[in-house]
Amino acid sequence: MAFERVLTRNVGNRDALTLDGYKKTGGYEALAKALKMEPEAVIEEVKKSGLRGRGGAGFPAGMKWGFIPKGKDKPKYLVCNADESEPGTFKDRLLMEHDPHQLIEGCAICCWAVHAETCYIYIRGEYTKAAAILERALKEAYDARILGNSAMGSGFKLNMYVHRGAGAYICGEETGMLESLEGKRGQPRVKPPFPAVVGAFGAPTVINNVETLCNVPHIINRGADWFKSIGTDERNTGPKLYAISGHVERPGTYEHPIGITFREMLEAAGGMWRQGQLKAFIPGGASAPLLKASEIDIKMDFDTVAKAGSMLGSAAVIVMDETVCMVRSVARLAKFFNHESCGQCTPCREGTNWMELLLKRLEHGEGREGDAMLLKSVAGNVGGNSLCALGDAAVGPVKSLVERFPEEIEAHIRERRCPFPEYRYFKDGV
Amino acid sequence: MPKVTINDRTVEVEAGTNLIEAGIKVGVQIPHYCYHPRLTVVGQCRMCLVEVSVNGKKMPKLQAGCSTPVADNMEVRTDTDEVRDAQAGMMEFFLINHPLDCPICDQAGECGLQDYSFKHGVAFSRFKFEDKRTYPGRERIPLGPNVILNMNRCIQCTRCVRFTHEVSQTGELGFFNRGARTEIGTFPGKELDNPLSTCVVDICPVGALTSTRFRFAERVFYLDKKPSICTGCDVGCNITMEHRRGNIKRYKPRFNPEVNDYWMCDYGRSTFERYKSVPRLRGCRVRSEDGTETIGGWKEALDLVHRRLRQRTSEGAVAFLGSGNLTNEEAWLFSLLASYVGSPHRGTPVDLGAGWTIPNLKGGITGTELAPNRRGAEMLGMRPSAGEELDETLGGDGSNGKEKAPVLDQDELLLGDGASKCAVLVVCDSDFGRGAYTPEVVERLRRAKFLVVFGWADSPLAKVADVALPVATHAEKDGTFVNAEWRVQRFVAAFPAPAQVRSTVEALSDLLGRFDPKWAGLTPEKVFDRIAADVPAFVGLKWSTLPATGAALQVPGANPIMSETTAETMPEVS
Repeated sequence: MAFERVLTRNVGNRDALTLDGYKKTGGYEALAKALKMEPEAVIEEVKKSGLRGRGGAGFPAGMKWGFIPKGKDKPKYLVCNADESEPGTFKDRLLMEHDPHQLIEGCAICCWAVHAETCYIYIRGEYTKAAAILERALKEAYDARILGNSAMGSGFKLNMYVHRGAGAYICGEETGMLESLEGKRGQPRVKPPFPAVVGAFGAPTVINNVETLCNVPHIINRGADWFKSIGTDERNTGPKLYAISGHVERPGTYEHPIGITFREMLEAAGGMWRQGQLKAFIPGGASAPLLKASEIDIKMDFDTVAKAGSMLGSAAVIVMDETVCMVRSVARLAKFFNHESCGQCTPCREGTNWMELLLKRLEHGEGREGDAMLLKSVAGNVGGNSLCALGDAAVGPVKSLVERFPEEIEAHIRERRCPFPEYRYFKDGV
Repeated sequence: MPKVTINDRTVEVEAGTNLIEAGIKVGVQIPHYCYHPRLTVVGQCRMCLVEVSVNGKKMPKLQAGCSTPVADNMEVRTDTDEVRDAQAGMMEFFLINHPLDCPICDQAGECGLQDYSFKHGVAFSRFKFEDKRTYPGRERIPLGPNVILNMNRCIQCTRCVRFTHEVSQTGELGFFNRGARTEIGTFPGKELDNPLSTCVVDICPVGALTSTRFRFAERVFYLDKKPSICTGCDVGCNITMEHRRGNIKRYKPRFNPEVNDYWMCDYGRSTFERYKSVPRLRGCRVRSEDGTETIGGWKEALDLVHRRLRQRTSEGAVAFLGSGNLTNEEAWLFSLLASYVGSPHRGTPVDLGAGWTIPNLKGGITGTELAPNRRGAEMLGMRPSAGEELDETLGGDGSNGKEKAPVLDQDELLLGDGASKCAVLVVCDSDFGRGAYTPEVVERLRRAKFLVVFGWADSPLAKVADVALPVATHAEKDGTFVNAEWRVQRFVAAFPAPAQVRSTVEALSDLLGRFDPKWAGLTPEKVFDRIAADVPAFVGLKWSTLPATGAALQVPGANPIMSETTAETMPEVS
């Protein structure tokens, strides 16, 4: 399939780490072009392209920018969400480590479009290498007067900072990130008001994922129509990074046009590990409900996956072969969410804990009749009732376990043990 | 103003009001834990989930009532199956890790968990085979001198944390760890020690925070409660006096947006302990000429006082030392007594305190005096020379330099040698302040030839009195106080006084009845209505219709440290 890499075009090109190398590949042309356009025109172009947020929720980016109130009575902020910490997700890291200037350019264009004079790149604390690379790139950009008091000589004041997180998954939630950025305890805020009205430091704020912002220079450069030509339909456009991991031969981050089928994606990654049997896969990171092997031909775009009862999320695909115990895997995911729940709201704090305990009990062969229904009921009480999306995320895998793999739960209860062999690694299981 | 329909009841409320408050207006209770009207909305207990439709379109998720502002064409339902399921689900989440130790918990009886699980929860548990989360070693952590934390009972609503950050603005408490291990605690090196610290116990919806003072003192369902007023200082915090058979167990703040809002200070909460630690005067004690003391009846004692008051003039002055603890009614009768005797020698001593500020929506009231009603007492005549022609320039607080030496005020009596000039000194009450316990002051007052002391406390002053008359504490009588912002507030007796103890109004009216029979048999209500008829500042008020939040007196230039204007001069200034 003739697909020219867009976002990852500079991966492998070590020159692109430097400003000169990046400029050789056409870098900062889009920013120059955007600075000559009206900000509204930039927003319009992004709206037209149909670019949807790549962080997980898939909210149209142009529309988000349009929510920012006009006028200069308050400063505005752009916060780039680089707190990529969902298990299985490693796409933003690639972009930041191999093409930092692309992100800086995307951020700069977004800032221009929404009149934000300050941009924070909130990067996951563990991404030390990416943070160092970004810092170096920022310094270069400042030295070359691309950032600073007059971005590229346009008179537009633009400052950009890298802010390193301290290791909480919840700080990837947009309002949790803002709290953390402001120096408070990282826990989500009540919405409304939405960040577009009251965000960082009480000012209107746009929050976009790294990958979303990396798409922006290309949209400005090549036009919305080009962008729309990639992808499945009007609502799912553009290139997409898929981080594939698990039982595949060549796990890693792959760039495909959005809407590629899972089967094609699996083939591109070299097929199943040691010719194993596909049993299940998670299409969009730890928070996405599991899909069964029979759904292998699903188109990996936002709407199709949502229709199948899961979500594309951050497009972190985790592939599992027939040796995997679903109860154990979901228990491990539940443990993650329990550990990462901020403890603020009741359903998430208590519910994730209870789900982990329940799943652990099942996995250790102490399950009882009715546990599947109990699990589903608890998950139902958490989902939709929590303060932020973490509660919803935590129930995704649990609900799909009960709905799609009831026979495995039954087997655990009937045999009073886990019917699968122990993993060689992670011997303590969950 | 947006109109919202809650369970088919429509109400128009101010823009920005949330659904919980709007619900209260139409009598729909939306259960909540973390929401408190004076604290930031955090929407984290998720107990207030309701179904919201805007323009007939139902929102896909349940919305938190506390964080959803009303909007036009909004329809809210709190009685659908979906909402009930969510409420039951939240109750289940609250209870799975709760120790359920109600039998030994101080909160039992006034516990949010008990109330809501009865109303919204389910009667059985599905959390049977897992272990409860506990916080070993965190069952009785003293957060400060007044508050003890039991982390196992906590439901992480963070009201206490927000209180210390937003209301007391001291910020000692924080939220530590995360997820199911979340804890409340003090920041390292800090302790919860601020003047308002016990308020966190009041706002804690469960038994996690308990008051050191009230801990294990009484089951709350055995307590009788009466609305009253704190006598700790001149803020006049509205309180609920909670006692069992006349044994006061605690004061709790009673909501009054004009005065103390939802709060009261720790000092105020401790004031009832005086009623237990100071010995009580339990009978009329009369000292005869030869120094022998007899405990007698009221009739003989009052007859004696009456006799001495009538034969005074040749022997010296007759002085009346009131106190800031007098109610308005008592002060008025006391000054009436002084007027009958024709005495200008009156004073209202008051101790000054640290100055506690009770926050309210208008910024707060600071109480500087250690008595609730110095202003009311002085306004109603208990100020020096109130009975005489008054020199305006003298200032009213009685402490300014006195050119006219003959008038004895509280300073002259307490600090100077005023009492020795007195034929009769009547002190009401024996607990007027620190002076009543200070040997030098007691000795000075004792120099009066005849010392009459009314009071509930058998203080050193009462012990040396020629006649000590036992009267009721403020828990045992009705009355009104005027607070630092000139607001007159009424309180009622929580329980009857012991035998032989009469209320001061009753005793004074009995005594006055000996001068003129028309004064006999007065009640506080009659006295108050009389004051309302006589004293300009009180005009238009009526005992029976005095609002629950009190009534602001029309006092010119009213501010807490103004020099008092006499009642007589008020009408002109209006």
